[in-house]
Amino acid sequence: MAHEPVDVVIIGAGPAGATIAWSLADTRMKIVCLEQGDWMDPAGYPTTRMDWEMRRFGDFGLSPNSRGREADYPIHDADSPIHVSNFNAVGGSSILYAAHYPRFHPSDFRVKSLDGVAADWPIDYALLEPWYAQNDEIMGVAGLAGDPAYPPKSVPLPPVPLGKVGDTLARGFNSLGWHWWPSDSAIATREHRGRAPCIQLGPCIMGCAQGAKGSADVTYWPLAIRAGVELRTRCRVREITLGPDGLADGVIYYDAEGNEQRQQAGIVILACNGIGTPRLLLNSASSAFPDGLANRSGLVGRNLMFHPYGMVTGLFDDPLEGYKGPTGCCILSQQFYETDAERDFVRGYSFEILRGMTPVSTALWGMSGGRLPWGTDHHAAYAKLFDRTAGMVMICEDLPEPHNRVTLDPDLVDSNGIPAPRIAYTLSENSRRMLDHGVARAREVLQSAGARETFAEAPLAPAGWHLMGTARMGVDPETSVVNEWGRCHDVRNLFIVDGSIFVTAAAVNPTNTIQALSLYIGDRIKQNLSNLFD
Amino acid sequence: MSGSSAHDALPPSVRDSLDALLDCLIPPSRDGRLPGAGALGIGRYVAARLGASAAVLLPGFAALDARARDRGGAKFVDLAPERRSEVVAAYASEDPGFLPGLIFHTYAGYYQEPAVQHALGMEGRPPHPKGYTVGPDDPRLLDPVRARPTLYRKA
Repeated sequence: MAHEPVDVVIIGAGPAGATIAWSLADTRMKIVCLEQGDWMDPAGYPTTRMDWEMRRFGDFGLSPNSRGREADYPIHDADSPIHVSNFNAVGGSSILYAAHYPRFHPSDFRVKSLDGVAADWPIDYALLEPWYAQNDEIMGVAGLAGDPAYPPKSVPLPPVPLGKVGDTLARGFNSLGWHWWPSDSAIATREHRGRAPCIQLGPCIMGCAQGAKGSADVTYWPLAIRAGVELRTRCRVREITLGPDGLADGVIYYDAEGNEQRQQAGIVILACNGIGTPRLLLNSASSAFPDGLANRSGLVGRNLMFHPYGMVTGLFDDPLEGYKGPTGCCILSQQFYETDAERDFVRGYSFEILRGMTPVSTALWGMSGGRLPWGTDHHAAYAKLFDRTAGMVMICEDLPEPHNRVTLDPDLVDSNGIPAPRIAYTLSENSRRMLDHGVARAREVLQSAGARETFAEAPLAPAGWHLMGTARMGVDPETSVVNEWGRCHDVRNLFIVDGSIFVTAAAVNPTNTIQALSLYIGDRIKQNLSNLFD
Repeated sequence: MSGSSAHDALPPSVRDSLDALLDCLIPPSRDGRLPGAGALGIGRYVAARLGASAAVLLPGFAALDARARDRGGAKFVDLAPERRSEVVAAYASEDPGFLPGLIFHTYAGYYQEPAVQHALGMEGRPPHPKGYTVGPDDPRLLDPVRARPTLYRKA
């Protein structure tokens, strides 16, 4: 079935797609967004029930391969030490993200110039700064101005409370003389744009039943829909099609009943993030683009970057009330963020402080580590663990390497028969050294804060949350897929606005930068509408 | 299969053995504040999680009974609690696959029970809608950080 042609079709309703949908809505162009998932019902989020903790092993798990949700597509990542964690719904992976929301540093856009590795971005921090600011306001970012790790910036909302965990670890950082600061968090700490304030539920990573977390379904989408954007859910795009003029002319997708549909459009915008976007481009091969759409550079799917995570848990003597407060947003430290020639790796990492473990998590963590026996000693052992843990993660900058890539799996397909992505990824020696450094420094912090024991895991296998680099930005069509404002070099009416266009990964969560880029690209499209394809 | 129906589908003797086993895994606390997992009814949760595969427990319980008779001259459920634990430990060493799944589900079911969370000092309710109160924070903590020079590189 063919639908009436539209001006713009956006593929993917996550943070990137939602943001550019809203950005372009004021043009009054006819805009349709196709999303393979559906709207989420916050009333059904896990924290409304006593069994909420165990749902991370089920329908709110990290991996699309084991979650059992119809909206997900399989990803062959068994050979990677880091496994992909994404979510398919209106709001995309922001449904399950922790809402840790820092910006990139200015140096993150000048990696080659400053440190002699990877490549510089064709844009810089100063160019993105107004879009960061606008995005911070719409998403409702909580934080505290004055962080010496960043250029001056305002923050719309007061920070999430540190709680006993944050207070304890902040004292540990202070005793070492190291940087820390309240996290920038996309969490409404007071009522903001109709969103209720945070009530410290804890597990933001399983959806926010309160609606305080800034996921794209409760921030940009209501605005975009009110402005006239049409959002079609349970629509899975199979391929982007080309017209005789070499421009993209629309998409073919499957609706909820599995029926093939055709949507013609004047502009096609990809917002499927670092795995979904190259997958769709590779699935859109044609005689004009035998190696995948917009892939004359051969770089579609290459340079996949995760953020290698390490985690160190400290065990303390006193209760920390760690089950209260946003689990992923407390304080961060960028003491080891910038390159230091004295260290045995280039670039750096952030520390992000987690809250403590909840009752079931404590028991299962104790069981898996052999710290919680069954039998007569069980209760005494549990009492030494419960509410006495604090976690730190290090989020390491991953450098782009062409052999880390997304291809199409020769056998695996999704429920519509569309070839699934396959991940080839190895952890670099630079990342390994960074993780080792981070684990050692995290132990120092925790011990300085009073931890009697520490436990480390690095890399953290299920932590493939951040998917970047697989259709990177640049001015040279030989070495990049999109130009400095997200337009594909090879197809002038095809844009990409998600993490795949990142040139480098920085060492912070990417969503704020993805959305700032979406606003910037949306603005450039609007500024150039009259001669967009000249 | 619901928790009740999966549990009810087990033979009565196996249900009794399951409860006795769960009380071995998590016995009542010495001060009486925390109940045993079997007495708390976690067997229903465990049976529900195992579903149709709960039948794999049957040979294990038969083996526990056999060892109980060898060691104590009685069925597993009729042994004193400390003797049950000895039997479970002995059998677990012979069949390492018997306990891990049971322990996982027992811990998961037990620690999501309101009565248990009450005893741990929590309110025994889901986080939403009441939430929690956190803070206030000590603003002086940031004084040494504010005094630092900038950390970022200009670029």
